[in-house]
Amino acid sequence: MKKILAGVLCTAMVISSLGMISFADETEAAAGGLATEGKFVVGFDAEYPPYGYMDDDGNYTGFDLELAAAVCELEGWELVATPIDWDSKDMELDSGNIDCIWNGFTVNGREDDYTFSVPYVDNSQVIVTSEDAGISTLDDLEGKIVGVQADSAALALLDEGGDQEELGASFAELQQFADYNTAFAELQAGSLDAVAIDVGVANYQIAGREGYIILDEYLNSEQYAVGFKKGNNELCDIINADLMVLLTSGVFDEIAEKYAELGIEPDMLCLADSFSLTPETEAE
Amino acid sequence: MSFQVIMGQLAGGLVKSIEIFALTLIFSLPLGLLVSFGRMGKNRVIRSLVWFYISVMRGTPLMLQLLAVYFGPYYIWGMKLGRAWRFMAIIIAFSVNYAAYFAEIYRSGIESMPPGQYEAARILGYSKTSTFFRIIFPQVVKRILPSVTNEVITLVKDTSLAFSLAYAEMFTIAKQIAAKETSFMPFLAAALFYYVFNAIVAFLMERIESALNYYT
Repeated sequence: MKKILAGVLCTAMVISSLGMISFADETEAAAGGLATEGKFVVGFDAEYPPYGYMDDDGNYTGFDLELAAAVCELEGWELVATPIDWDSKDMELDSGNIDCIWNGFTVNGREDDYTFSVPYVDNSQVIVTSEDAGISTLDDLEGKIVGVQADSAALALLDEGGDQEELGASFAELQQFADYNTAFAELQAGSLDAVAIDVGVANYQIAGREGYIILDEYLNSEQYAVGFKKGNNELCDIINADLMVLLTSGVFDEIAEKYAELGIEPDMLCLADSFSLTPETEAE
Repeated sequence: MSFQVIMGQLAGGLVKSIEIFALTLIFSLPLGLLVSFGRMGKNRVIRSLVWFYISVMRGTPLMLQLLAVYFGPYYIWGMKLGRAWRFMAIIIAFSVNYAAYFAEIYRSGIESMPPGQYEAARILGYSKTSTFFRIIFPQVVKRILPSVTNEVITLVKDTSLAFSLAYAEMFTIAKQIAAKETSFMPFLAAALFYYVFNAIVAFLMERIESALNYYT
């Protein structure tokens, strides 16, 4: 009797799991290039302040998420802020689980892999070190242990084939870490000599801690944009047009102002330049 | 972020962890029993299939299995994944993985029963089914409870792997708060939550053990 029951239970589970698969609806992309009509699913790393993080009330916020929310307001979409595992971002985007990656996402070096919106922030990769480490130039980093976040733009830059490959090769070790808390703890404990990091994030991290400096010499200059699945021009065009509206209506600057003291300095904003540099794409 | 908000967020994350925990147990405990039957069965094909299933489940990381179950339908059949699929994939991956471990635990219990009990039951006229469910299985449950408790406690901690599928359970929330606060304190709070939850689980399992200890 109970054996039958167990059998029935298990069969039910197998059937229902099969059912779930076909449940996963096979509809084509809805209007506007969104995977689900009316829902703008933004993938972001929630451990990436000030671009995307959890605010004092436990809600997801950040410079990039507020921009996304403003876009949703214009379009009448519902914003679904989906924190993702940064290592799985390509799978999430390819499979349509998220509509875009909007999270301090570096364009440079990834041009062929994603469809990008117009750039809105000028970013640089910088070196953070402790005040008393005696490191003041990039040359001083020779023979030192430098940390970078896994799968980050800084890693691509310093690793083989990157623009700062030579500098990277001069380090004793290029150590990858998962999150900045760990990296800064290692910096403090002395197991790392320096950390290569995005300037906006560096500003945020240093503001919350004592005794760190950013080197004046930058590793590079690069830009942030919204990343879409390669070929999703429909959605990209909508977001570009909306960014233009947010810029001319002043909403973009309002949001930027809020984040000025959290690490996004006014001279990092480049949305205005993006539009004046490429007016012909807007006219189309 | 105030202390109350941090605790509130972690508690919310704990609820999500408990959802995974409870559903996984509900599915994997019976499934594991079925798998153990296949593992000990007479049919050679089923036996080797089940052997292979268990060896894959135990031999590859659960994190990889989560990714495979979740993204598999898209990459293999090009299916569009619905929003509900994320949670279902987590439950399926966890259940199928834990069923493999539970199957081996059941097997250890069932194979430890002396054959004399089967012979005695046959002489007394018990059918095979009722021999198993009325005589063997209740004793098996008593014997395997400590091992099951081990797995159950491991499961509580394994729920943190669900973040590889962007499911915001407690450890994920703790990491996010830690990033915002640029501090390690949220991890201490999370550790406390895990510890208390596991203490409750261990206490309940001990109670069940002593309740079943009716012959001594």
